[in-house]
Amino acid sequence: MSNTKKAVKLPEAGGIFDKIAPIALLTGALLATLGFILTFTIASLVPGAAVNGVELIGDQMVSNKLLLSQNIFYFHVPVAIASMLALGFTAYYGIRFLMTKEARFDTCAKVVTEVALVFIICTMASGELWTRFEWGVWWAWEPRLTTYLILMLLVIGYFILRNAIDDPERRASYAAVFGIITFVDVPICFMITRMIPSSVHPVVFRTDSGMPPDRLVLFLICFFGMLLIAFALYRLRFRQVRLAERVAALKEQLDD
Amino acid sequence: MANLPGATGSTNAVSTTSAQVRPTGFHHYLTLLKKDLTQEFRTKEMLTSMGIYSLLVLIVFGAALAQTASSFDILQMGGGLLWVLIVFTSLLGLNRSFSHEKENGCLEGVLLIPLDRSVIFLAKASSNLLFLLAVEIMVIPLFYFFFLTTTTPAETFWMIVFPLLVGTIGVAGIGTLLSTITINTRGKDVMLAVLFIPLIYPLLYACVSATTAVIVGGEWTMDVYLPALALAGGYDVIMILLSWVLYDFVISA
Repeated sequence: MSNTKKAVKLPEAGGIFDKIAPIALLTGALLATLGFILTFTIASLVPGAAVNGVELIGDQMVSNKLLLSQNIFYFHVPVAIASMLALGFTAYYGIRFLMTKEARFDTCAKVVTEVALVFIICTMASGELWTRFEWGVWWAWEPRLTTYLILMLLVIGYFILRNAIDDPERRASYAAVFGIITFVDVPICFMITRMIPSSVHPVVFRTDSGMPPDRLVLFLICFFGMLLIAFALYRLRFRQVRLAERVAALKEQLDD
Repeated sequence: MANLPGATGSTNAVSTTSAQVRPTGFHHYLTLLKKDLTQEFRTKEMLTSMGIYSLLVLIVFGAALAQTASSFDILQMGGGLLWVLIVFTSLLGLNRSFSHEKENGCLEGVLLIPLDRSVIFLAKASSNLLFLLAVEIMVIPLFYFFFLTTTTPAETFWMIVFPLLVGTIGVAGIGTLLSTITINTRGKDVMLAVLFIPLIYPLLYACVSATTAVIVGGEWTMDVYLPALALAGGYDVIMILLSWVLYDFVISA
């Protein structure tokens, strides 16, 4: 989608991507669910998981409850990463729109941000379960939580902004600009656990994480599944919006 | 860019009497800035409204803290309260800064001038920055008078100048871009708050921690202060560069 020689190639509904979208959705859902279930059944427990009661492992009080409930990691992290990637595409389509002024890229940006919002809400919900269960509080003003919350507010603000403007071209420009600025928060949110070390959100992506290999494979399965779901949702929704746009254009032609 | 000679679009045409000299971007900048300042000196609209508003916010703080005054540490909260004050006051000012441009059709006039659009951003952001700084100079002594005279802030208190400066620069920069966006939307006052507050959050967080660190003082002041200030400065640079680049698309949409 990135050849900008003379005529800009516009993303369009139909074609190979839409054919594989339902399959991708199904596969993604299967993979994500399978990986998540397998973390409970076949995967080796995290080092020292076979404790009775409570024990001190690596400076942390660990109980079986904690060790099992931490499996939410295999849902929470893939969803969060997928939402951040989707926001990356919002910024990408925003830039493409500003470069070409093609309404199509605005449609793409809008759809991909919708997908991002769905994933952000899933992340917040699963994170909330974890917060309540493990820390015993509903909310903590902790760096990662806070930056992710403002990410959610920014994405909601993106849609409020869209709804508050009537002129389509102006709406598209403003939304593109705001989408690009919003993206600044994504690396901040991603890096914040490295900048301000917090006890509750570990740095996940590093080389010395000490994750057992079979767990890593399961994580990658969940992650890949989630990406497939995000892709398929995007394609399906894009197709729907695009077809609606085309119907509207046809109606207008018929009226003339 | 084909500049019309002498077309600075204002009664206060800069420097040259001859119509032969092409005004540079810097001339445009100075003229636009001067236009805002002149308007402010004549109407005193922004400064009075922001000044009175911030005084009222101080009074609300007084009421909110009235029942706790004896049993909590105002030094710990002072920095946060100060930034609450600045954020809300700047929201008010930013809303106004483009509304009179819009009402009188000035923005169209400015856009007719063949100039680099990002110069408009720099001029507008500078004037917003100057107004905000003026209000802060008025309001911080008042804040000190109302809340901090009962205790003794640390000796490092004077260093709140730097987080205030860095924070205000960021607020003015981001706010100028956003108020240009929201001026053309429905429900523009609320809209600005919805977009502005999440967007400045990282800056606000860093500035509050730097301000609180120097108000409270103590052994580890610098360990908190300097990284927070660096964080705020970095966020400023990124945001203002982005706003500067994107402003052209916003103002001509």
